Amino acid sequence: MDVKTLTKMTKWMETTDLEEITWKNGDDKISLKLNNNPEHSATIASTMEPVLSPSIGIFRFARPGKTNHLKEGAAVKKGQELGVVEVGKDFKSVTAHSDGLLKIISIEEGKPVEYGQPMFFIEPK
Amino acid sequence: MFKKVLIANRGEIAVRVIRTLRELGVNSVAVYSEADRSSLHVRLADEAVCIGPAMARESYLSIPAIISAAKVTGADAIHPGYGFLSENADFSAACHDNGITFIGPSPKSIQQLGHKAEARKMATKAGIPVTPGTKDIVSKDAAAQAAKIGFPIMIKAVAGGGGKGIRIVREASQLANEMNMAQSESKAAFGNGDVYFEKYIELPRHIEVQFARDSHGHVIAFPERDCSIQRRHQKLVEESPSPAVNKKLRDSLEAAAVKLAEAANYVGVGTVEFLLTQTGEFYFMEVNTRLQVEHPVTEFITGFDLVREQLLAASGEKLSYTAGHTVPYRGHAIEHRVNAEDFTRNFAPSVGRIEEWIVPGGPGVRVDTHVYAGYNLPVYYDSMLAKLIVWDQTREMAVARSRRALEDFKVKGVHTTINAHQLIVENEAFKAGHTDTGFMGRLLAPAEPVAAK
Repeated sequence: MDVKTLTKMTKWMETTDLEEITWKNGDDKISLKLNNNPEHSATIASTMEPVLSPSIGIFRFARPGKTNHLKEGAAVKKGQELGVVEVGKDFKSVTAHSDGLLKIISIEEGKPVEYGQPMFFIEPK
Repeated sequence: MFKKVLIANRGEIAVRVIRTLRELGVNSVAVYSEADRSSLHVRLADEAVCIGPAMARESYLSIPAIISAAKVTGADAIHPGYGFLSENADFSAACHDNGITFIGPSPKSIQQLGHKAEARKMATKAGIPVTPGTKDIVSKDAAAQAAKIGFPIMIKAVAGGGGKGIRIVREASQLANEMNMAQSESKAAFGNGDVYFEKYIELPRHIEVQFARDSHGHVIAFPERDCSIQRRHQKLVEESPSPAVNKKLRDSLEAAAVKLAEAANYVGVGTVEFLLTQTGEFYFMEVNTRLQVEHPVTEFITGFDLVREQLLAASGEKLSYTAGHTVPYRGHAIEHRVNAEDFTRNFAPSVGRIEEWIVPGGPGVRVDTHVYAGYNLPVYYDSMLAKLIVWDQTREMAVARSRRALEDFKVKGVHTTINAHQLIVENEAFKAGHTDTGFMGRLLAPAEPVAAK
């Protein structure tokens, strides 16, 4: 069965109440199952990896006295410090988990963050 | 009064504190670990922030995380609840250093009263009876010292604690032998063979007095609570007043609590624990410098809201009642701690999803809980699901109400201690008010000789 026929069949299935269909021809067998559950069909596959906050606190792009000109689209290396979370007198390092491109920065300088809050999204190389 | 209070706790006590805050028009901030995302306190609070992973050490016990959460949310005070950081002097000090009010006593009071030896000294100074014993390490003339205290005595390891390193000696003839064993045992277990003696009180009752004191010097001591029904030092049932305490004894217990609160210049609510002997003498045991799990029984018979008194005292205001050291009370209250445990399997913890959760209600019934149908019990924290508190005009009526409420309590999905409580309320000795710290042992193993332990 080619992809064209498969697509046709799927389209046709969607016009019916059928949820599942099995088609057999000799040794060939194909089963089609429609996923009409909105919860599941709404899943968006993403290859981006989120970088989560290691602590509650205040986010800073750089440690005191340092600067950091991180921009969306920049290449980052595994282990590179993207910023810090200030917790009392302590600074917890926020690092990239893989080499890749920094696609999204979802945090601003000096903003409070919760534990586990996504702050960056990296597309791994 | 405060504008916004952060609750550095979870479970039913966080829910309990949020309720009073809401009544007072104070905003509430819940903090939670990753495992508690769906806990009730998170949903009920005006704001909620995630402070760390499931392990309490990195969330509910992390002073920097909690202080940071208070700063991020702009809370002006922190209520510590019970357990976790509630009796941690460093935490109380850290709040102070960061310009946040700790809703509890000063670091100094926590240190003084939380340290057993210090608290004992303070009690002695205030004229409160303490368990007779040797003040120092016993090495020579053990026989004379033991005789002075009077048998039975306990040989306690200086380095011991939590019920470990204790030997009971009933007769002088056993002393030398037991002394040798205690010394070598504690040497092996704690690396320190030093021991001291203390009077052993046979089947005591655990009696405690709740007190509250404000910074203007007003003190209230509430009628005693009887918490004798315990299993492995864990309270199961608490009631107030105690069936073993008469007016005269109550007056002396309350007077002792007032004296101690004044001697420590204590601000906030606290509890003095006593051992009450079968013959009616009481001895100071320790002070808890926080709100206790069993505080609702006191609230039920006196009409006070103890969390509100805590907030008043911490914000520098006067207690809601300043007309004297004692307060009137009415009727009798009993609390049952309902835990997720299987009592038929030696109280093994039970975890899982709460499939059905129907709580009792009606006259004189209060349920403090953070649980709801569909809630998944996290495995990381204590097993308490709810506190069932009942009130009625007499003890007998309150026991009948307990029986009814326990029957109305329907839980599916996990094992609970509801059936253990049913066993307790049906017990003749309990009905008659004849309880002591050996009660649960006898109830669960009736064949065991009395006072075997």
